[in-house]
Amino acid sequence: MAITVKELWEEGAERLSLRIIAGEKYLENSLPEIAMNRPGLALTGFFQYFANQRLQIFGLAEFTYLKSLSVQKKEQRLRQLFEQKIPCIIITRNRRVPKGITELAEEFKVPVIQTPMVTMNFVNECTVLLEKLAAPRKRIQGTMMEVMGIGVLLRGDPGIGKSETALSLIERGYSLVSDDVTEIRRTSRGRIVCWANEVTRYHMEIRGLGIIHVPSLFGVASIRRETELDVVIDLKKPTGEEDRTGVHPETVTFLELEIPCITLPVRSGRDMANIVEVAALNQKLKELGHDAAKELDDKIISRLTKGRVRRG
Amino acid sequence: MAEIEIIKNFKVMNEYGIHARPAALLVKAAGKYSCDIFIEKDGNKVSCKSILGLMTIEGFPGSIMQVSALGEDAQDAMAEIEELFVNKFYED
Repeated sequence: MAITVKELWEEGAERLSLRIIAGEKYLENSLPEIAMNRPGLALTGFFQYFANQRLQIFGLAEFTYLKSLSVQKKEQRLRQLFEQKIPCIIITRNRRVPKGITELAEEFKVPVIQTPMVTMNFVNECTVLLEKLAAPRKRIQGTMMEVMGIGVLLRGDPGIGKSETALSLIERGYSLVSDDVTEIRRTSRGRIVCWANEVTRYHMEIRGLGIIHVPSLFGVASIRRETELDVVIDLKKPTGEEDRTGVHPETVTFLELEIPCITLPVRSGRDMANIVEVAALNQKLKELGHDAAKELDDKIISRLTKGRVRRG
Repeated sequence: MAEIEIIKNFKVMNEYGIHARPAALLVKAAGKYSCDIFIEKDGNKVSCKSILGLMTIEGFPGSIMQVSALGEDAQDAMAEIEELFVNKFYED
């Protein structure tokens, strides 16, 4: 997903202590390659291969090299650099901005941003931020909970009892991430991370009660800002077609990743929170490599087929 | 409609016998009917609506199972269970 310099600025201004030096009007520049480049080699005049679509980071190396050049050469090289249609320049260690950069920034419509951070630290922090910004994301319907470290997304038709089940789980000491609307993104490690919409975060709607604020009622332990998704639980009216063994689990696909999905039939009087809790525990067990349903099935098959041999 | 009881014998014809998947199919089929359905083998009798029961009955490949259905819809239930046995539980 392509992003603009502005998104980086908005998300990272505080965290990366960014300050705009020039070209504030051009923050809308897009960042075609979500990465950083140290333009040291380009400054020596080598432009045959130059990653011009990335953030250009001016650190100690670049400054020391520029210093070694004559004023004329310095101006020429900087101009050549700007001519490559770069999206943005970032100057680390709060170095004094080289002469002429402000003018070039206006001329070539390039924002120049400064940070007091040491280059290495900046690059590390910025990589994490860029990856987060560029991750594929989506908004999905469902209530997100964290149950014993397992991220559980509760889905189901309106009125089936998602929020009520979540409330029971909160009362059992588990944490709410989001109610009804969940934001998701895919990480480079191939996981789905879920969090809540900024505005409605930590609020729930309970039929008959209206809107409640979960941490005010249950304390800060009852909420969690974001969590990785491990299992999806669909609450459905009973159909008689439910899985009875769990040997062949279903999956759903979010952002091209497959997530285990369990369908739970909701009957009146059934303690859904209890079952969701067990489903989460069972999922945890599976992730540890212990699949109870499959192991029992393998055991039975092995006994049954041994029996066949015995009978000749 | 009167209460009827039907008793039939079936041979387990699939390769692995009654493991989790066939057991689940039997339970799902039986669960649709209100009649009582039991499966009996070597004196062990379990409900056809209990998955763990079916897993303990040792339905070896080639073994003979006695299925009994008692209730108003026993006829339909038996037909559906027969279909599963005859078609080797739809396994290769």
